[in-house]
Amino acid sequence: MKKLLFVIFLLTFFCKFAFSDEQQIIAMGDIEYGEYLGAECVSCHQQKGASEGIPAIHGMDAEVFVALMLAYRAKEMENPVMRMIAGRLNDEQIGSLALYFSQLEPPK
Amino acid sequence: MSKISRRAFTGLAAASVGTLAFPSISFGALPKVVVIGGGAGGATAARYIAKDSGGAVHVTLVEASKRYYTCFFSNIYLGGFRNYASIGHNYYGLAVNQGVNVVHEWAVSVDAVARKVKLGSGEHLSYDKLVISPGIDLKYDKINGYSAAVQDKMPHAWKSGTQVQLLRNQVMNMKQGGTFVMVPPPNPYRCPPGPYERVSMIAHQFKQSNPTGKIVILDPKPKFSKQGLFEAGWQKHYPGMIEWISSEDHGGLKNVNASTMEFETDLDTFKADAACVVPAQRAGAIAMAAGVNNGDWCPIVPASMQSQADENIYVLGDASVAKSMPKSGFSANSQAKVAANHIRGALTGSKVFDARYSNTCWSLIAPDDDVKVGASYVAGAEAIDVESKFISQADDTSETRAANYQESIDWYNGMTADMFS
Repeated sequence: MKKLLFVIFLLTFFCKFAFSDEQQIIAMGDIEYGEYLGAECVSCHQQKGASEGIPAIHGMDAEVFVALMLAYRAKEMENPVMRMIAGRLNDEQIGSLALYFSQLEPPK
Repeated sequence: MSKISRRAFTGLAAASVGTLAFPSISFGALPKVVVIGGGAGGATAARYIAKDSGGAVHVTLVEASKRYYTCFFSNIYLGGFRNYASIGHNYYGLAVNQGVNVVHEWAVSVDAVARKVKLGSGEHLSYDKLVISPGIDLKYDKINGYSAAVQDKMPHAWKSGTQVQLLRNQVMNMKQGGTFVMVPPPNPYRCPPGPYERVSMIAHQFKQSNPTGKIVILDPKPKFSKQGLFEAGWQKHYPGMIEWISSEDHGGLKNVNASTMEFETDLDTFKADAACVVPAQRAGAIAMAAGVNNGDWCPIVPASMQSQADENIYVLGDASVAKSMPKSGFSANSQAKVAANHIRGALTGSKVFDARYSNTCWSLIAPDDDVKVGASYVAGAEAIDVESKFISQADDTSETRAANYQESIDWYNGMTADMFS
């Protein structure tokens, strides 16, 4: 019995930490706020997708979205426009955007 | 309606009495928004209010032109990089996809007390909230000898349309080895890097079709936007072709003569074979007619883009005093989203979020050599304040500059979809 409890404890412990930063940030998101904030994104990012210049973000996986925004915010990725845009987004705002764009229809 | 029982209907009516903050709803009609001007500010505002309210707000867009040619990318056309049709857009998407009532007329006056807009036909449109986004008018009389009557000899080409096509034609037909004179406008004006991108595009054209042609810039200013980047680009791509003369050196433009094509300054009289003259600017006339201007431009509330003169009127884009944002299509599009969110909140009770603004301006200097400048902004008490900014670097790689150009093309497609789809 003690062994079983220990295993359950271990599983619980690891599950808790298995939730990545990305998932925690997504959990902070609000879809209505994401729609408002997302209006800034769609001045450049088109629903129908794009060529090699500005990538499509509609329908993007929420965790990928968060990971990219964190990388731009940390200036680990190059584009100065995206560094500026991500630079002023807090975790809640990034989570909201990720939620909003992930539920949109991706480009065909 | 037939499915609503008498009891339910009474309940709805009682509920609507409780929403006195939204007076139009309580009388059973949809709240009305009228948007004057179908450019980057107005088309975006109309689209977002209609789209996001899901039919709860009746939106009318008043725009005289049935086909809208963007000012942004008109220089790219001048450089021969795309055809004119590619920068033209219609209002079909706004009418059909978003349910915007598109009225192709001029708005001639605003009765702010009765909340009515008078159209050129004599018809009136009543509104609960009015958006004025008329762009610029030109102050022709600020340059001696220049007027609307001679703008075909020396096109300003600063409001897109036939003027840009005419300018392209004059650039293509200038005599070999001739001189092109460019007169940029004084501050503040639409598209700060625009005159210098225009010079770059004309130089690019001359390099191919008129390699001994010269360009003289008679600037009313002592410095200009992205100056270091442009001057380095001109040196690299068009050595010896472009001469920029600061106001401090020529002492001011005293007179232009459209018959002899002469430009008189303290320094010298310059004879042109072709020319582009962009006069000083002010908010479009309807803003003056509505009484929301203070002098040439319209002061706004930074948190909402509401006019400081009338809380039911919002002024967007070039016509507004949106310090520290430049007068650009990108700025107008950004401001429109803040205003749309605020208007929808006032009329339907939807959530109003904090204002946030951004802008980026790309300028093409030569093929695959594109520079950009941008900033993000927040609403301060007195002005729209810069939060962070960036500008292209002198030592950018050629790959970065080429990527900037591709990015600008994608932005153009995204932006115009965001306005018109």
